[in-house]
Amino acid sequence: MKQHTKGNFHQTAAPLLFLLPNILIFGLFIIVPAIQGLRMSFTEWGVFTTPRFIGFANFVELAQDTVFWKTFSNTIVYSLFTVSLIMVYALALALLLYKNTIKGEKIFRSLFYIPSLLSMITVGIAWRFILGDEMGIINYLLRQSGGSGIPWLTDGNLAMVSIIGVSIWAQAGYYMIILIAGLQAIPLELYEAATIDGASTTKTFTAITLPLLRSTLLVVMVLSTIASFKAYELISVMTKGGPGYATKLIVQQVYQVAFLEDRMGYASAMSIVLMLIISIFTLVQFKFTGKEQDYE
Amino acid sequence: MKKILGILLILVLVSTTVFAAGTKEETGKDVTLSVLWFNDANEDEIFLNTIDDYLQANPHVKLDMQIVAYSEYDQKLKLMISGGNPPDVARITTNTLSVVVDSLEPIDNHVADIEAVKAQFLPSMVAFASNTKGEFVAYPTEATANGMLINKSAFDKAGINVDEVSKDWTWSEWESIVKQVVAANPEMKYGLTVDFTPHRFSTLMYQFGGHFLNKDQSNMEFNNPGTIAAIKWFKHVHDAGLVPKSVWLGSENPAELFQAGLVAGHIGGSWNINTYNKNVTDFEWKAVRMPKAEINSSVPGGKFIASFKGSKNQEEAFKLMEAFADKAHNEMYSRDTFNIPSRVDAQVTYPSNSDDFEVFLEELKVTPAFTANEWKNTNLSKVTTYIREQIVEVLLGNISAEEAVANVDKKGATYFK
Repeated sequence: MKQHTKGNFHQTAAPLLFLLPNILIFGLFIIVPAIQGLRMSFTEWGVFTTPRFIGFANFVELAQDTVFWKTFSNTIVYSLFTVSLIMVYALALALLLYKNTIKGEKIFRSLFYIPSLLSMITVGIAWRFILGDEMGIINYLLRQSGGSGIPWLTDGNLAMVSIIGVSIWAQAGYYMIILIAGLQAIPLELYEAATIDGASTTKTFTAITLPLLRSTLLVVMVLSTIASFKAYELISVMTKGGPGYATKLIVQQVYQVAFLEDRMGYASAMSIVLMLIISIFTLVQFKFTGKEQDYE
Repeated sequence: MKKILGILLILVLVSTTVFAAGTKEETGKDVTLSVLWFNDANEDEIFLNTIDDYLQANPHVKLDMQIVAYSEYDQKLKLMISGGNPPDVARITTNTLSVVVDSLEPIDNHVADIEAVKAQFLPSMVAFASNTKGEFVAYPTEATANGMLINKSAFDKAGINVDEVSKDWTWSEWESIVKQVVAANPEMKYGLTVDFTPHRFSTLMYQFGGHFLNKDQSNMEFNNPGTIAAIKWFKHVHDAGLVPKSVWLGSENPAELFQAGLVAGHIGGSWNINTYNKNVTDFEWKAVRMPKAEINSSVPGGKFIASFKGSKNQEEAFKLMEAFADKAHNEMYSRDTFNIPSRVDAQVTYPSNSDDFEVFLEELKVTPAFTANEWKNTNLSKVTTYIREQIVEVLLGNISAEEAVANVDKKGATYFK
């Protein structure tokens, strides 16, 4: 009987005790602020004023706020392109660099990984110097060679393309490392068996690599989706959300409404909507790609 | 041996305690003042140099300077105040002042004769630094104004005597003149650049007879003929290629464009005199009077230092600020930062560029008084970013000037409820 109780402790209570610090930190810094944010979203509140309960008024206003919906559609466009292109690019890099068969492979891995170590503010400043209309290096070289400059950051569509391109450049290396780890975990016997069976490279990729990489790809997709919905520094530095509203994402609008327009309650309502969108995206991703995989 | 060692140790302990106590007695109660600061150039160094004599005379006062980028400054300060941990002293602009005015500790509570203190400063600075109760809440440290700095070498090359033509020119005269300047200078691409801020745009707005608020400041009134005319003119000069799109559409730094010799003129703040004095070596530049539309106008502004309700070391903070704002220190700080002094009795001899400061002062003299009152309005400060966005939407051709001003009034009205 005593033995049985001890077994239960090791199986149930002990793991919980080990998890307790994490649960406490998660609760204190994630759950509590999230609940507080939800509470604030039902109030009218400036930084220096007392919150006043106004029910769903913030959400009703949000539904009619054209600037918010513009930033919402920008966020969706930015996320869809950034996430899908990051996955393709990072997977391509990982496939090239995971086998240790190319000379200088580790150097290439480092070169692709280094941008992800830089702060997004640094990345933004550097790329603004490169893409600037008048003072940018690329346009300078184009003009020196007799061409005309390209409005990388002053044309709305090109500005969106520019920030998507820079985001991919800055983040792909990080996801490449995760995918390399995933690729290296796939048993080599499976590839050997496929070779013996005479499977083509494409068949091997679609029948072995992709299915067995599914859970790693899911991690990459979820992480890059969350990162793209929270992209703030890079865009603030490169375009300030402009020209006009062309590259302004929900997080920029949340910042502006909270700290420049002093409407914390309304900004909280925006944040709640953003949280819901991220949750829906993540659940959909889990639904379609989160099936158990079997190595046997 | 052990005994001797023990006695020696006791002696060391006793003597250390005695000397430590003596030092404490000499310095009085040590105070570390937290100072929140931002820089336009290197004002933190000049601030420390200026008050060095005060700190030497008061060795018990130490400063904990926290330098924050201006773009993050308001948010940082607001969070410190709302978190109940305001700094002892902070450098603030007129914009910030309008936001935090109710959190500032009135100077009235710390001096015997507040009217005598107010009388020491320029009236526009006193207006900015007064709260709705009429209390004086911040010491003005420097006055600022918007004005025009031009590439004199480029005007000379075009054979234009800029001193002569700028005495009383209009924006339409400026347009034809600046086209000649750009044509005569192959490396120059544009006639003018304007800082990407509503404050600098409002210079043009006031010149065209526009305004932000109604007369009693009870609501937005951006929708008025002067403002619409200013926005339309601003779009015209962008479309005509006289102003680079990269500043208002692409966030490029206008000062860098001017320094690179790409533009003939720059409408910016008076602090640019300091920046260009340091950085421009390839050509001759100077301040000139801005062209007029309906009227001549600049926009007054300033920088201040203040303490807060709830600051931990108010007594020492006010002593420090009072010393920093006195005549000698204000003159020294204005001279070294290349700024317009905030005191009426200041006599500043700048190492150079005195004529340029004189031009900015002339602009201030003809600026209507209501401009200062508009810019100290707390509600206006909440809608300025939206105003900037709406002007950009007009420049992009997405909406008309009439739609932009209507949108701004609609949004602004929610803050004047």
